Amino acid sequence: MLFPTVEYGLFFLVVLAVAWALAGRVGLHKNFLLLASYCFYGFWNWHYLPLLIGISLVSALIARRVQAAGTTAARKRWLALGVVLCLATLAYYKYTEFALLAVLNLWSYFGNPPDIDVQSPLLPLGISFFVFHAISLLADAYRNKLRARIDLRDALLYIAFFPQLIAGPILRASNFLPQLARPRNPRTIRANTACLLIVAGLFKKIIIANTLATRLVEPVFADPASYAGGDTLLAIYGYAAQIYCDFSGYTDIAIGCAMLLGYRFPRNFNAPYTATDPQDFWHRWHISLSTWLRDYLYIPLGGSRGGTIRTLVNIMVTMVLGGLWHGANWTFVVWGALHGVLLAGHRLWSALRWQRLAAVRQTVAWRWLSRLWLFHAVCLGWVFFRAPSFDIAFAMLANLAHAGPLTLASVPVLLVLIAGLGGQYLPRRWGFSLEFALARAPIVLRGAALACAMFVIQLLGPTGVAPFIYFQF
Amino acid sequence: MKRPARITGFLASTRDLALGAAGFVAAIVLIDSGGLSQWAERLDLGPLRTIAVPVTETVDRGLRPLGIDRVRLTALAELGRVSWSDNPAALVAAAPPPAPAKPPPAKPVKLAANVKAAPAPIPPAPKSAAPLLLSPVVAAVPSSTALPPLLPVPPGRPRVVALVGDSMMAVGLSDVLLRQTADNAGLQVIKAFRSGTGLARPDVFDWNAEYPAMIGNARPDLVIVAIGANDAQGYIDAKGKVVSFGSDPWIANYRTRITAFMDMLEGSARQVIWVGLPPMRAALYDAHVATINRIAYTVVSTYPNAAWWNPAPYIGNKDGGFRNLGQVAGYHGRPKIAQLREPDGIHLTDDGALLLTDVLIPWLSPAAAHPLPVTH
Repeated sequence: MLFPTVEYGLFFLVVLAVAWALAGRVGLHKNFLLLASYCFYGFWNWHYLPLLIGISLVSALIARRVQAAGTTAARKRWLALGVVLCLATLAYYKYTEFALLAVLNLWSYFGNPPDIDVQSPLLPLGISFFVFHAISLLADAYRNKLRARIDLRDALLYIAFFPQLIAGPILRASNFLPQLARPRNPRTIRANTACLLIVAGLFKKIIIANTLATRLVEPVFADPASYAGGDTLLAIYGYAAQIYCDFSGYTDIAIGCAMLLGYRFPRNFNAPYTATDPQDFWHRWHISLSTWLRDYLYIPLGGSRGGTIRTLVNIMVTMVLGGLWHGANWTFVVWGALHGVLLAGHRLWSALRWQRLAAVRQTVAWRWLSRLWLFHAVCLGWVFFRAPSFDIAFAMLANLAHAGPLTLASVPVLLVLIAGLGGQYLPRRWGFSLEFALARAPIVLRGAALACAMFVIQLLGPTGVAPFIYFQF
Repeated sequence: MKRPARITGFLASTRDLALGAAGFVAAIVLIDSGGLSQWAERLDLGPLRTIAVPVTETVDRGLRPLGIDRVRLTALAELGRVSWSDNPAALVAAAPPPAPAKPPPAKPVKLAANVKAAPAPIPPAPKSAAPLLLSPVVAAVPSSTALPPLLPVPPGRPRVVALVGDSMMAVGLSDVLLRQTADNAGLQVIKAFRSGTGLARPDVFDWNAEYPAMIGNARPDLVIVAIGANDAQGYIDAKGKVVSFGSDPWIANYRTRITAFMDMLEGSARQVIWVGLPPMRAALYDAHVATINRIAYTVVSTYPNAAWWNPAPYIGNKDGGFRNLGQVAGYHGRPKIAQLREPDGIHLTDDGALLLTDVLIPWLSPAAAHPLPVTH
């Protein structure tokens, strides 16, 4: 059930009505949301519901053992057991075939590999996200960030809560479980913000991301040799805008839906292409993943506590594994490694303390040059992220040097490209102004305005519903 | 003075939320009842469709006299005309298809899928001049099929090849074919495929109406078709009765749809190659696909300038069954072991498609034969 569909609209309206009708009865309210979340997941493939429930139950039970253990060593043992179980499940579903292919291809260098055919299991939708939620539950229990004893139902709902179930944002148990403990209060809901987020998300997804995908990105990445350098560059920029609008659009809708149900999700994007350095970029791009990797991988590896070399190694390991988390393909490994190199290079560069350099770094021109440079470095990474193989990635890069006609730069494509990239520079106060302006209208009219906005978006977007890019991860 | 809750956009009570939701629902029903009705018609058979179709149709019928839907239709047509949207409303203004060699199917070309026109049940299949019910559907397709000789093209002009189909063409196969023919001056390739479509549900996507707009004024020398992966589904007939996949009426109807499709393709192209569906991973789905292949083979074989080509010997295992991993040509011709099928067990990966294009490209253009041998 994809967000921009009538099916989801109907589902959400029913859930919204019943959830608020049950708001005064906390237990029933949570039972209902849990049931709705499992229905939401089962709508895709109910065969995988036992997996979702199983991972949730096992991690919750182990997290409770972590909380109850008397010694640090015992807590650590339970934590290790839980994390290993979670990662083993993820590895089984996501990386079995990848590992086997790597071994077979290595084997083929030394002789004829065995003629075997292995079928890895169908990848359960959202497994990377709900496994990370489960690990967060375990880790937060280990770090004593959960004051109360973990309630099983709350833990199940935390992992399966439908707005974030398929593609995040990745919630922290320590942030979300306390929300479940409180009764819902309509006075805490910023309805205008929620509606604007949903409309913005739909606009980004349907109009910008889908238009760029169908009219620019997909044709060029499918057949780079048919396009010259101008079209190729445009397609790379287009993918940068597409993936941002696709993923941040999904997140906006998820945050808006959760907000209408009375729950707060963390911000996941903050105008990432306005970043001036790689570290700044990861503070703005997929924030819930980058902070998850920082807290549950980089810091446990030692973070920056072990000297320069060790820090750089930790950065590289974190980013390469972060790349691999996105998909079982070497192109994702290269994408992660590229960002690792950028972050490591930035760390060394920013450690330089030349006074003259420090003065230059403060100038506006330097900031814009940094932005431009970083954007293109990120775009280089997107080529590997988007390309299905290294052949295509290198063909795309080689194509940049080929002169030729610009065939895909139609007015609609350029408009949505500018909107997708330039929209990040719009002042945030415009959004606040709109929110407050809406507040003056009667609530019924605000609902009608939301309907009209969605209608216009659906009218302007390409036909069909393309799945969100991050669903595959 | 207004309450702070109003000024900042916070809700005052659940009543506010209910009022907002009511405003939303009322507005969406009022302005898009036609769209909702079409959404219901496109749903797969099941309880949701059973409820949604009569409800949305009743609402739409009740609201149609208000004329609000005209705004939507006009907007769609306008947007299609200026090429802002790829909505098939553009079809209304599309050039008519070239005159077919056989009598055209007696099927009215309806408006775009999003333009309200079609009734809820799927219309009866078109009547065709092809010898429909004369030959029974074959019990099994041949395990090995040869590609026929290509019809010659006049010297000095490239062979025009149209790639047609659903995601079986769009994912993998078309990408690799396009890449491998990009520098071939002897071939001009036209993209006319669309994922999520098929021949079983013209109410969702009507190939006979859409295809002429997809190829424009081109007249292909050869059409390569790969379609049918979405067709293993039942439908509701004109009497409102569910026709299950694989039943006799379903097979008869599907035959007529393939026949009408072939009539149209043959009317606009000189030669047609129908790439059969490859073996699938899930056993039940594989059995369904085998049924679709048998019907397609039976129909396509009746056309003199068309051939059904079985991809199983190249993409399947030794027995013609599903195979996930296989050896393909890697860097510098060195063999590599690769995944041949997408994780869904249905679509071809680029590496999987290579196994087919290694046969298709040398056949299409002997001078540009793929230099790397395929090993299994």
